[in-house]
Amino acid sequence: MSFVLNRKLAERRAPLATAVNIDPVSASIIRGAFETACFEAATHLGRAASSPIINQSNERNASIIDAHGRLAMGAIGTPHLTFVNAMMVRWALMNMDNYDIGAGDVLLSNDPDHGGGHLPDYCVYSPVYSADGELIVFVALQAHQGDTGGKDAGGFTLEATDIFTEGLQFPCLKLVHRGELRRDVFDMVARNNRFATFAGDLAAMISGVQLAARLLGEVIGKWGADTIKAAINQSIEHSERRCREEFTRWPDGTYEGTVFIDHDTMGTKDIKVHVACTVAGDSLTVDLTGTDDRQELVGVWNTFANSRSYVMTQVGAMIDPTIVKNEGMFNAVEIVIPEGCIAQPPPNKPAALGSFHPACEITEAVCVALSAIAPERAQPQLYKIGMPNAVIGFDDNGMMWMDQGVDCRSMDTSAIQGIDGWGSCPSSLGNLLLSQAEDAECRFPILNISREMTIDGGGAGQWRGSPGSLNVKQVLKPTSAMAWMVSADHPLRGMGGGDDAIPYSNHFNVGTPEEYKVERTAQALLQPQAVIAYQHGGGAGFGPPLLRDAEQVKEDVLDEYVSLTAARAKYGVVLTGSLEDYTLAVDVEATATLRKDMGVGEFTLEAAE
Amino acid sequence: MSAAAMNYRVGIDIGGTFTDFALLKGGEVILHKNLSTPQDRSLGVMQGLATLAAKEGLELGSFLGSCEAIVHGTTVADNTLIEMNGALTGLITTEGFRDEVEYRRGFKEDIWDVRLEPPPQITPRRRRLTVPERVLADGSVHVALDEEAVRHACRQLKKQGIESLAVSFLFAFVNNAHERRVREIAREELPGVTISLSHEVLPRAPEYDRTSTTVANAYVAPRVIAYLDRLVSRLKDGGYRNQLMVMQASGGVMTVDYIDGSPIRVLASGPAGGVVGSAHVGKAKGCPNLLCVDMGGTSYDMSLVTGGSAPVEAGWNMHHRNLIGVPMVKVETLGAGGGSICHVNNGVLEVGPRSAGSEPGPITYGRGGTEPTVTDALVMLGILSTGEGFAGGSFRLQKAGVEEAFAKISAEMGNAASTAGAEAAAFDCWRVVNANMSQGVRRTTAGKGLDPKELVMLAYGGNGPAFAGVQAEDLGINRVLVPKASPTFSALGTLVANPAIDEERSYIARVDALDLGRLRKLWLELVSRAEKYFTDGAFAHDRVVAHYQINMRYPGQNFALTFDIAPNARLNDLSFIDDAIGERALALFNARHMAEYNHIREGELPEVTGVRLASHVVTPSPVVASGFTAKAGEAAPSGKRRANLGQGFAETPIYVGATLAPGHSIAGPAIIEESFTTIVVYPGWVARIDDAGDYELVKG
Repeated sequence: MSFVLNRKLAERRAPLATAVNIDPVSASIIRGAFETACFEAATHLGRAASSPIINQSNERNASIIDAHGRLAMGAIGTPHLTFVNAMMVRWALMNMDNYDIGAGDVLLSNDPDHGGGHLPDYCVYSPVYSADGELIVFVALQAHQGDTGGKDAGGFTLEATDIFTEGLQFPCLKLVHRGELRRDVFDMVARNNRFATFAGDLAAMISGVQLAARLLGEVIGKWGADTIKAAINQSIEHSERRCREEFTRWPDGTYEGTVFIDHDTMGTKDIKVHVACTVAGDSLTVDLTGTDDRQELVGVWNTFANSRSYVMTQVGAMIDPTIVKNEGMFNAVEIVIPEGCIAQPPPNKPAALGSFHPACEITEAVCVALSAIAPERAQPQLYKIGMPNAVIGFDDNGMMWMDQGVDCRSMDTSAIQGIDGWGSCPSSLGNLLLSQAEDAECRFPILNISREMTIDGGGAGQWRGSPGSLNVKQVLKPTSAMAWMVSADHPLRGMGGGDDAIPYSNHFNVGTPEEYKVERTAQALLQPQAVIAYQHGGGAGFGPPLLRDAEQVKEDVLDEYVSLTAARAKYGVVLTGSLEDYTLAVDVEATATLRKDMGVGEFTLEAAE
Repeated sequence: MSAAAMNYRVGIDIGGTFTDFALLKGGEVILHKNLSTPQDRSLGVMQGLATLAAKEGLELGSFLGSCEAIVHGTTVADNTLIEMNGALTGLITTEGFRDEVEYRRGFKEDIWDVRLEPPPQITPRRRRLTVPERVLADGSVHVALDEEAVRHACRQLKKQGIESLAVSFLFAFVNNAHERRVREIAREELPGVTISLSHEVLPRAPEYDRTSTTVANAYVAPRVIAYLDRLVSRLKDGGYRNQLMVMQASGGVMTVDYIDGSPIRVLASGPAGGVVGSAHVGKAKGCPNLLCVDMGGTSYDMSLVTGGSAPVEAGWNMHHRNLIGVPMVKVETLGAGGGSICHVNNGVLEVGPRSAGSEPGPITYGRGGTEPTVTDALVMLGILSTGEGFAGGSFRLQKAGVEEAFAKISAEMGNAASTAGAEAAAFDCWRVVNANMSQGVRRTTAGKGLDPKELVMLAYGGNGPAFAGVQAEDLGINRVLVPKASPTFSALGTLVANPAIDEERSYIARVDALDLGRLRKLWLELVSRAEKYFTDGAFAHDRVVAHYQINMRYPGQNFALTFDIAPNARLNDLSFIDDAIGERALALFNARHMAEYNHIREGELPEVTGVRLASHVVTPSPVVASGFTAKAGEAAPSGKRRANLGQGFAETPIYVGATLAPGHSIAGPAIIEESFTTIVVYPGWVARIDDAGDYELVKG
């Protein structure tokens, strides 16, 4: 539990020892079998869990980590969880004897200071052995839990200055010993959770891991341990090689990105994340030196394992998507994170909110830096929402409920060179399935009033960002609400000359004399009928708006993504006809003149060069 | 009985290339295939019927006059969504919820590919208009419908020239008054426009599922309805006097009138027909639990049959990038067919999902294909013959170019570009496609609480029987059925399928606090719809078998489990709704949850999410023989060929299907050539022919 431990956990790992020289076809067949075992475990969990964030939003992940602690496979579920699992398993590997770990065990980890992400991301995992008792792999399921038994429901405490405020930490806890559930341990873990559904989720995770362990045992039995180890080595080496081939195509040099968070939860302003990406031949170094390290900051501490994971999530989005996501990526990318900065906190710092920010500014900064050399894939994988409006109340039976606000909406889907931002959210980070009004309203005393896209809510650009949504809700009973607002002063950055996204904003008690704007954080008791309105930032634009195809701007106006005013003011497009009658047409000459006046020449010259 | 007095039943399935016919005559089935007629597919249907009539020695008129039922599976809806050439469609929805179909709940088909293009929108934003109105979860009206706003929205859509209108309001499945009122207004404002209401198309939560399904319904409706109407009138003109029955994705058939109310129900009905046919054959052979695999030219379709029937799911069914939430026989598809292209991607040998299709097709077809495919690999391995008689003798496979293509693959993988290298590369392609299919099957059974080992495999489609033994072995399955009729299985399925209506109504309540009056009202609503449509189809009510079902889940679960609360009941017998229904439902739910997930939650009470009525009428279907009573001598191979069946090249006996008879038994390694398919008997397996002439492969 120290920087020394972090260094040890992050160390490069050697390939598994094996005498088998495997052919690439057999290796990829075995990889397919691994992926399928992950799929089966994640599917089992998704169907059997009852927390909406697992079964509706799909915030869960299955992965396989080898006996050296290397990510052997992690294809299913939530990417940012994929890249964290291995670090927690490494702690268990360092303690095989101390903890008496053996076949049939199921373990639980979530400790930010022992390789974990934030506390709610429970990692449940099990070792898998060959027939003659050799440890071959661990299989891990990770999922975001509704609560962690800390001060505030959900585990997000705005003013927390240490991890103990946020809940219980498990460096490595045995839930099942040699196939037998440890009832006392299970009940203790379940007791430290506010939600009745939690025990069911934990049971589903255990049975999912046991299922995957059995399937992997069969795969190992069929091929033999040495062949399996050779296949894992081959797969990791292959991913590393393919990453390096991608980096070789990028021009050598150092590319920098700096991104700011508006403030921490106490109001200290302009929290900085700085990234320098250095490409040299077939290597890529991502260096976070220069990132904020003011020790008094509150809420903006991202765990070490998470920081590494977010770097990798963005790198993964900027290379060929078919490259298999495993340890080979970490072997190909040197990640430098200064000890003590907000991306590698000292022990006992709170971790919950840091998983949003600065975690997402890390992906953004990596994207900004690499946008110069990989514009065709420069879409930041992030959420710029500080924290959704989580609303919490009690039902008639006194049971606590929480609408986590993972609502269907549009936010942060930036354009890339050639494609407008589309859909709901960037997908390589969370891959969430968003919740629906009809499900929520059957369960919670909430009325969803609106979640439509806001006209001009996306960054303008040669390719435009998708407009952000305005989510408006009404609470029908006394309800407490929590929020942390960021991305108002520093909205999502445009790339390649595109405009930034619009700022986020959040209003409580809308339409009453008590209406106020949440400037930093909110922890409010809302009275029945109170309305809250969250304006999400949209995606940012890519490329100068004046270069957007004028006909496309007309289509955007017809679809009410872009207003007539913005068509002229941002895009320099003059339209004739009537929007009401769908008779808009581009005035080609007037548009050319206006664009010239607005300085389009500068960009076309640049393009010509 | 004279031929003219015969009560024929005809099953027709239209595919991309062929239209398949299955004629049921007493217990006997006659199969026929002719080319489809893409311009007007009803023409191909009429041609095939004329051929069948001629086979029976009848004029078309008297043949059709003797048809008790014509049952039809159509791909019109599928083609409309593939080609995106449906009706110009508008959507009217609740104010504040304009963009749900664009958000897709955040779903993206490939989470890592930031260059993934958005799906084409059926209703772009300009044709998604909202009106003030709001119904709450309990059905009460929170905001009254603004009728002026509805008229305005209709006029705006009229300006854009829409041909079809979808209406989807929040909680319309609980209170549909607003949607019905919009229909009245739209009929005035938008004469001639087809109207789809969400509470009729998919009366359940949540809003994205329902709206997406309704929008897709609106998009395909005019084409499906026009096509069916055309076919009905051609059949009527031809002398057919009964109702045309149409296959639905749920595996049941229903009248055209019923389909017209929700034509999206015919989407993906072709594969469903195949599964229904499989279930029927499996049941006859004493195999109620099947893993059905259908390998054609472009895809490998996998489905399950449990307890003798094809499970139907009404959940997250993505079709052509649209969520279609109506009940469907669950069929998983993998891009692995005979035409799937073998290629090397950055040092990794991959097969599919890209396909050479039927034009130009595999290299071996000799129609200009240059990229090696799975079919080419089979030629290279000696599994397929380049002799006479491929695809029923319609053409001959060629060897030219095949070896060169695999030699190139061998070189790209860093191996010799020799004949041996080419053979090894083809073998590797065979291994890769086999592994893809085995993993695909595992994903099909994932989360179902099923062990593939306990299933019997049923293989069909042109390429299914060539590979079935390998997947079976991989999955620990030791019995594979290959029915003789497998090449026209979907048509056979339409004959087997029963007229069926499977509908549900949403009702969310704790299982210990059920409102019996509400339950009765909802089920009565379903009963009266079933009564109406069965009556229209001339099916007497006493022939209807009703399964009353409940959807239940733990609060917070996304997926409900469905189970029978009153199976095999009479259509209007609601006596099962009594004070103890909640207790019975709880016990049944616990049993289902235990079977599916291996645990139940102590101290948590599940909730009911909906009631369902699955009703059907049993109609005559083909009798499938089974058993192995017939005796036959030794089967004689027609020759030998050098082939690699997974254990290296060896001289392998070849049998001609037409020369084999019930009672014959052939030990692997061997290859059996049927007219539209090739059956591979892998080493260690035995093929036996049962009394029906169907094949059974058993691991020895």
